[in-house]
Amino acid sequence: MRFLFFFVRYTLFFCFILLPGLVSAQARYTLSGFIRSGADRGVLPGASLAVPALGTGVTADSTGQYSLSLPAGRYQLVVSFIGYQTQTRELNLNRNQRLSFSLPESNNELGEVTVVGTGTLEQKLQTPQMSVERLTTKEAKLLPALFGEVDLLKTLQLKPGVQNGGEGTSGLFVRGGSADQNLFLLDEAVVYNPSHLFGLFSVFNPDAVQSVDLYKGGFPAQFGGRLSSVVDVKLREGDPQKYTVSGGLGLISSRLTLEGPIVKEKGSFIISGRRTYFDVFTRQINKLNKDAEDYNPIPDYYFYDFNAKANYKLGSKDQLFLTGYYGRDIFGFNSTNGFNFDFTWGNTVGALRWNHVFSPRLFLNTTVSTTRYQYGITNKLDQFSFGLSSDIRDYALRSDLEYALNDRHTLKAGATATAHRFGVGRLQAGSADGTLNIGSDVTYHGQEASLYASDNFRASDKLQLEYGLRLTGFRSGSDVFGGIEPRASARYSLTPATSLKASYAQMYQYVHLVTNSGASLPTDVWYPSRQNVKPQRSQQVATGVSFLLGDGKYLLTNEVYYKWARNQVDFRDGAQLFANSDLDAEFLFGKGWAYGDEIYLEKKQGRTTGWVGYTLAWTRRNFQPQRGTTGINNGRDFFPTYDRRNNLTVVVLHQLTPRINLTGSFVYTSGAPTTLPSGRFAFQDLFGGDVAAVPIYPDRNTYRMAPYHRLDLGLVYKLKPRRGESDLTFSVYNAYNRRNPYFVYFDQVKDKQTNLVTSYRARQVSLFPVIPSVTYNFKF
Amino acid sequence: MLLVVSFKRFIYQAPLLLAVLAGAAGCNLQKDIDVELPVVPSQLVTECYLVPGEVPRLTVTESVPYLSSPQPSVPTDVTVVLTLPNGQQERLSFKPGQDKTNQKLYTHIGKTPLVARPGDTFSLDVRDTQGRHVTATATMPTRVPLDTVEWKFNDKAGEQRKAYLLAKFQDPAATADFYRFQIHKDSISKDSDRDFSLDDRLTNGQLITLGTSYRYSPADTLLVTLYHIDQSYYHFLESVQDARNANGNPFAQPAAIRSTVQGGVGVFTILSADRRTVILK
Repeated sequence: MRFLFFFVRYTLFFCFILLPGLVSAQARYTLSGFIRSGADRGVLPGASLAVPALGTGVTADSTGQYSLSLPAGRYQLVVSFIGYQTQTRELNLNRNQRLSFSLPESNNELGEVTVVGTGTLEQKLQTPQMSVERLTTKEAKLLPALFGEVDLLKTLQLKPGVQNGGEGTSGLFVRGGSADQNLFLLDEAVVYNPSHLFGLFSVFNPDAVQSVDLYKGGFPAQFGGRLSSVVDVKLREGDPQKYTVSGGLGLISSRLTLEGPIVKEKGSFIISGRRTYFDVFTRQINKLNKDAEDYNPIPDYYFYDFNAKANYKLGSKDQLFLTGYYGRDIFGFNSTNGFNFDFTWGNTVGALRWNHVFSPRLFLNTTVSTTRYQYGITNKLDQFSFGLSSDIRDYALRSDLEYALNDRHTLKAGATATAHRFGVGRLQAGSADGTLNIGSDVTYHGQEASLYASDNFRASDKLQLEYGLRLTGFRSGSDVFGGIEPRASARYSLTPATSLKASYAQMYQYVHLVTNSGASLPTDVWYPSRQNVKPQRSQQVATGVSFLLGDGKYLLTNEVYYKWARNQVDFRDGAQLFANSDLDAEFLFGKGWAYGDEIYLEKKQGRTTGWVGYTLAWTRRNFQPQRGTTGINNGRDFFPTYDRRNNLTVVVLHQLTPRINLTGSFVYTSGAPTTLPSGRFAFQDLFGGDVAAVPIYPDRNTYRMAPYHRLDLGLVYKLKPRRGESDLTFSVYNAYNRRNPYFVYFDQVKDKQTNLVTSYRARQVSLFPVIPSVTYNFKF
Repeated sequence: MLLVVSFKRFIYQAPLLLAVLAGAAGCNLQKDIDVELPVVPSQLVTECYLVPGEVPRLTVTESVPYLSSPQPSVPTDVTVVLTLPNGQQERLSFKPGQDKTNQKLYTHIGKTPLVARPGDTFSLDVRDTQGRHVTATATMPTRVPLDTVEWKFNDKAGEQRKAYLLAKFQDPAATADFYRFQIHKDSISKDSDRDFSLDDRLTNGQLITLGTSYRYSPADTLLVTLYHIDQSYYHFLESVQDARNANGNPFAQPAAIRSTVQGGVGVFTILSADRRTVILK
């Protein structure tokens, strides 16, 4: 009841903030419709429609729809988006009108250089939304990639304010936030673990993805649930005109995509799959060595995933979208001494969205979705078996309404409701004869809900505001939590080429990732807020200035942010995180701060495009003594492992000839903090034998590893097959073979004759040397 | 429980999987580096396991900077006093030596064999002339007997013929209990073949079964030992294991040592064990 009361009480307050917008309604004509890709008819969220004569415009929303209220008249409309040719069209507006656009790709062959009109940079200059990075698959596919595997999340790591979780990993650490503070959305459905192979690859197959938006701050009111970022991934909708097969053969995996119309002009589908083949090679190696003495077989490992999406028009005002994802990582080990080990993990995601156009000015999107992340470990030894599993499963409903009130106000409102089930840990151990039978099952349920409303208000030609409020609530058992999350951002145009921006956002996070690895492991489990595990919350302010330079070819942006967070989560030393029915007691809570300056220069026009980003940042955590512990570092501040002082990225894409594209990216980051043992002591244990050196660790993360820098080079060569299109994509990862630090450890040096320890030394381990790769991509 | 331990080891070995990928390039990806470590004061390190019927022995060393000489630093100015359950104090003499039975080194030794019964509480007081002072208290746990020790051979012949071993014991229902399980081959004077610690969190009051993989040959002599240990010793063992695993594992969070002593580092406990010797036939 308390939960309901909370919502009723605040809903009244919540509706009130919409009133100022409603009272200023005027009669005007509304222009609305979709902006789509001409190639595959996929929607283009973020594409812009400008009306230069009025100095106004609009951006397509996350479903590719736009709506703009204009006075009657004759106008020239300019529609543009990254990677597509800018389109202009004359329009005599004398009634409410639906008008959709299909933008031709800037080049109709695979892997072309992105060439766009200046509208996109102008749009970034003009929008009040700040701290957002938009990336299309077309961009990402041009850039060099580790093992030739294009990865959208790794490409996002090249943007300012975004750190990776270590060499080659796809984890995101955004403006000082930890890995669990990112909300990953796949067509509105949450993805809880977005990585394969311990974070080395993301689950988002680039062949199926249309675009990715990364919000680092200034969060729009429709997003919530995580503190640090929103990664909004949109899948392609499939070619509505003809059946197409595309794919690629790479060093470690292959991909295949099929798309086409369901009924022409009514609907289309896309289904895409990929699979790695490490296991094919390792099985052969094992086979060749099966008779070798002391040979330890290499475990089997592979992953696969499928993405599918279908859309169907029910009429002129209704359209359905169905999205599905299924992916699994599979690790298996069969030892010669009878010990079998199987480890499987992955996500299952489904979403059904209904898009309804009430009028040219009023749209509704309603989505039901489900998501499940699970892992399971089973092993057997003769008559004994052991199983450990965990999962999180959501059923969610969300509804988003967008209303273009007039040329000054665009209103958005919506609600979400999610039923969570947290299968924190199920353990089963038994023997065939029944002498061993151990079982443990820790499961919690939670309900999460939110309401939001926002107004994009063009106060004048110079000032534009977007303000909103999000109310959130969470219940787990008898524990109820709530949060009020105000959001605001503003843009003020000093000159036509200079904008000042500012934003504020408060965020609540009611689910927590239980991990003490500092990295994303498949065995990390999600845990609800409970009486002794309060919700995480943060506030972020950011301000920035943007300059359009070089006749609109360049956009220079400088953003400064400050974020402070409460109830940050860590775990006590030696915490028992598996199958623990009292996991609450293992949590530690602390405070966090992150602040920095991000400078970003981008060029999106001409044969040479790219960006330069520089970030100067600090991230701190503080965990005071609590719960019978000394906290962390006895209550002194420390830097988390993803704190980096300086970060420089340079990305260049150059179209050498119509068939050859050259790309390069350079990354420099300050050394990562890590904890090295300052001392050691000799430990004999109960009986004589080797004396062990046991490390004594000082304060956390006091040592900085060497700086990280790397140059990647790429070349896309378009072939001329008799049918369809194809290319060869060459990548060189770590071109100058820099031995970047992955981790540092201490080792014993032994005398070869006596096998006695003569000294100790520090060793730095690197993960990836120079790695060339080639990928063949095709489409017909 | 052995399988739980195996799972933990798998997680620790996760970087090896990444190395399989990197190994495709066949490069040497390690190098020596110079590091500057923070200087921290040296602490007294005590290691004392009292065994009923044996003369008390104790090892006192010092913690040292990690990259210093591998020779253990043994302070010579340390006085050790053991307080018995009846309040009587016994000073242990500084007489470095090696236990002939288990080849273990010690720095201090008592005079008479220890008399200890479950429930008896002992105290330890260690001081040096620099003012370092380590204290500890420990109570002897009850003895939990091994119920059965059995083994089973596979169907293979020759050198491939191997057996697994099972040990069963009844966990007391009324208490939270902690155990250390060891298997030695032939004698206890060298490193154990199997060694792990466990609690009864999921098996309270049950007949607990511990096992191994197929790893023992016909005619092997095995010494199977079950220690019923106190919680603080269990935490110490776990923290030592965690600290050692964290050195060289980028996924592991470095862990502080949870000593059972105050004022320094180390362990003071009274062993309560049941041991079986079996010959696999």
